[in-house]
Amino acid sequence: MIDSRAHSALSPSVAVGPVTGAPASARTARPGARVAGAVLCTAGLALLCLRSLLGAALGLEAVAMAFWVWARAAEDAEAQAPRWAWLRRPAAALWLAVAIHAVWPWLSHGPGPFRDGMLAPLRWLEAAAVVWAGLELLAGLPLARPYSDLPGPLLVMRPWLPVMLPAAGFIVLWRQSPHWLGLSPLRHTATVLLLVTAVLGALRAFARRQWTASLRWLTISDSALAGVLVAARVVPERSSLLLWLGACGGHALLLMGELRGASPRRGPFITRLWRAASWTTLAALSWPMMIALTSGKRGVAWAAFFAIGALPVCLNAWVTVGRMVAAPERRKMVRAGAALKLTRLAPLAVLAAGPVALLIAWWGGFEPPWRDSAAALVPAGLGGMAALAVRQTRARPVWQALRGLGRGMPAFAGAAFQAVIGIERRLVALGDGLVRAVASPLHDLHSGDAQEYLLFVVGLGVLALVLPLLQ
Amino acid sequence: MGTSIILAVHDPLPGLVRALGATLPALHGPVIPALVCLAAAALLLLLEGREGAGAMEIASLLVLLPLAGVVATAPHVEAAWPALAVALVVAVLARHREDLLHSECGIKLLWVMGGALALSWGGLELLAISTGTRVLAEQWAVLRLDLESSIGWSTALSLSLLVGVVMLGGAPFHFWPADLFQGARPWLAPLAVAGIQVCGAGWLLSRVDGIEQFPAGQRIVYSLLGTAAWVALVAGGVTLMVQRRPERRVGTLASLNGALMLASLAAPHRDAIGAGTRDIPLALWAGHLALALAGAATLSRFAAVSAGAPSAGPVLFRRHPWSGILGLYAVFSLAAVPGTPGARLWLGVARDLVSAGRVGLLLALAVAWLASFGAAIRQLHEAFGVVTPAAPPGRPVAWQPRAAMWLTGAVLVWMALSGIAGASR
Repeated sequence: MIDSRAHSALSPSVAVGPVTGAPASARTARPGARVAGAVLCTAGLALLCLRSLLGAALGLEAVAMAFWVWARAAEDAEAQAPRWAWLRRPAAALWLAVAIHAVWPWLSHGPGPFRDGMLAPLRWLEAAAVVWAGLELLAGLPLARPYSDLPGPLLVMRPWLPVMLPAAGFIVLWRQSPHWLGLSPLRHTATVLLLVTAVLGALRAFARRQWTASLRWLTISDSALAGVLVAARVVPERSSLLLWLGACGGHALLLMGELRGASPRRGPFITRLWRAASWTTLAALSWPMMIALTSGKRGVAWAAFFAIGALPVCLNAWVTVGRMVAAPERRKMVRAGAALKLTRLAPLAVLAAGPVALLIAWWGGFEPPWRDSAAALVPAGLGGMAALAVRQTRARPVWQALRGLGRGMPAFAGAAFQAVIGIERRLVALGDGLVRAVASPLHDLHSGDAQEYLLFVVGLGVLALVLPLLQ
Repeated sequence: MGTSIILAVHDPLPGLVRALGATLPALHGPVIPALVCLAAAALLLLLEGREGAGAMEIASLLVLLPLAGVVATAPHVEAAWPALAVALVVAVLARHREDLLHSECGIKLLWVMGGALALSWGGLELLAISTGTRVLAEQWAVLRLDLESSIGWSTALSLSLLVGVVMLGGAPFHFWPADLFQGARPWLAPLAVAGIQVCGAGWLLSRVDGIEQFPAGQRIVYSLLGTAAWVALVAGGVTLMVQRRPERRVGTLASLNGALMLASLAAPHRDAIGAGTRDIPLALWAGHLALALAGAATLSRFAAVSAGAPSAGPVLFRRHPWSGILGLYAVFSLAAVPGTPGARLWLGVARDLVSAGRVGLLLALAVAWLASFGAAIRQLHEAFGVVTPAAPPGRPVAWQPRAAMWLTGAVLVWMALSGIAGASR
């Protein structure tokens, strides 16, 4: 290896290195960075909504760039910049898919046997890249799963900034569905990973005591459940989008309102309205999702799939209905404004989203048997009803006893979530260690001495002799 | 032009880019890039002169002329040129014998290139002995008669290709470009590396010329080149992921561009084989390589070595961000980030690989591309660093390197625009 002593042919003015002189606390997010990040993020999310794969890749790159722009200008930039560096991975995955399309524009997406011969791996790679991008943003892969517990890089938007990422993940999976739905094994794998994500998200939302933290995890769980719906293809594309918009959008709006003076909980009527809207959209989302999971299955398989699907739906309904408590209004007169109107109108839109989506689905041919439908609606109904019962019957001794029993459940859910995350981290670290163990001897093979260069030439010369003989 | 304006109206942003590209003269040949590369070297040499170097140092520019000539005449590389180019670079490196890094680079180049040249010349002699002629077309014709065992000619053929592979800088020989960028003077390294790599590509092209007439030999050649390209792409990509010094990153990117040429040579188009012709854009590759290396190497002198935690950006990016951005464009082009002329080259080779049905090589190319794309973005993040309220250092970066980055960056943008316009036509 060359001597690391740098020789400076240029002037001392080109000397480089860490020159941060000021303490971290002195740094503030500059308005320029805030605006640049917002523009990039908005443009990125708009591009994600396009059908074009190139647009999606550009959009995701813009979102990653926005997070970096905010992170480098944050007060704790040293922590924020590495924290959000993983956002480059989904962007890179989508770029790979774009490149495969550019290289092979005749790539077919139709179901059925491959007609692409030896180039079939490219089709798989493209589909896997799209699924990877969507799943990682949805916290569906073990690499960056707990990101929703960490504050975002922009101070004014910190608590809800990570909400944007599961939304981006769902949009990628939904908008680019023609690129991956045709490959059944990949579709089934994605479904399993999405179900795991929905369960983990629901457990975490249930475990967190803070309502805002729970809402962040609920959006992940909602998006994962909607992703299952996309993978299952039981309802038309527009329906799945509307169902996701109702469920995830409702929770995102709740979070936004919560950070603006808890406006969705100011008064009993508006609280009940939001509760009913969130519960209804969750039930509407879970209905076709549960039917897709259990259709065509009998006996133990039916029970297993039903249980896996029901757990996150039930927990989400419990958290949504049970944790939304009316906040006392301390002001004598509430100032009327656009935010207040939005807070009152939004639940009506959310409430309408679910039924409208199901109507569109029915129009598109979604007509499940009534028994299946009844079973599919049980988890959402059960979760919400139980939460309501606990809330409204506090005085009765039997409910007091049950509440005592259930007091430890959030801690249990939190421990279960942490256990899964711990196992995943260990597995990732094991894989990383294995790669390092293999790469380390390869690195040590070459010490950088000049004589080794000659040995390399001789080695390659021998290889050049041997390879033709092996043909 | 009229068509471009109509396109700009119907499809605003891409149309505007195409219209802009259509107004510029096409830039496909390597002459202008070679001249720009020379001008950038002259600017950097001026800086060295300002810092007390003598007139002899300034005259060093003369030794760069032949190297720029090699790049400018890229499709026509004579068989003797590789040896002369290597000898010239080693001589220039050896001239600064008081500089330990220069001497070390000179010795390493001498070892590796000298050995490879000797082995390849040996292979050529073996071929001449076994066929009785030094004319390539006659050699293929004689070998096609199948008069003797294949061991002799296959060994000779493989050895004759060796120096081309080594000079292209593909792994496991990817360290020499990185060493040169880290150790050699800023004005020398880009043209030296580009010149040697172009000679390597030229050597290989000249050795496989007309091999379609000898199918058995063609199979061996494509198999060898494919294996070499696969190893070079994968090993280069993995190396890039762990490199921390910006100069070495540029060197490894140069090595990957060498591997790209290897992959291109190993992927004959099915139609081209039948017709007996090849469509390898050596001129475009050589011009782009020289230009991008000149810009990226200049930038790398101002970039910080990767540290564990993010820190404030270097002086260049805090005082002259636009110069830095143009330097980064050169790095991006080497890494084939979409929207750069480098991306067009990589895409072209990938399409050739698809046409040839070489999926393994295509996957290796994808690995290398993702690694280089990631490295380019990492370079961008490190270059701008984190925001600090402290004022940037008072002393600005000298104008010569900034001018060099503007020059190379502007011509690369020109190349990209003319490429987009050409593609739309």
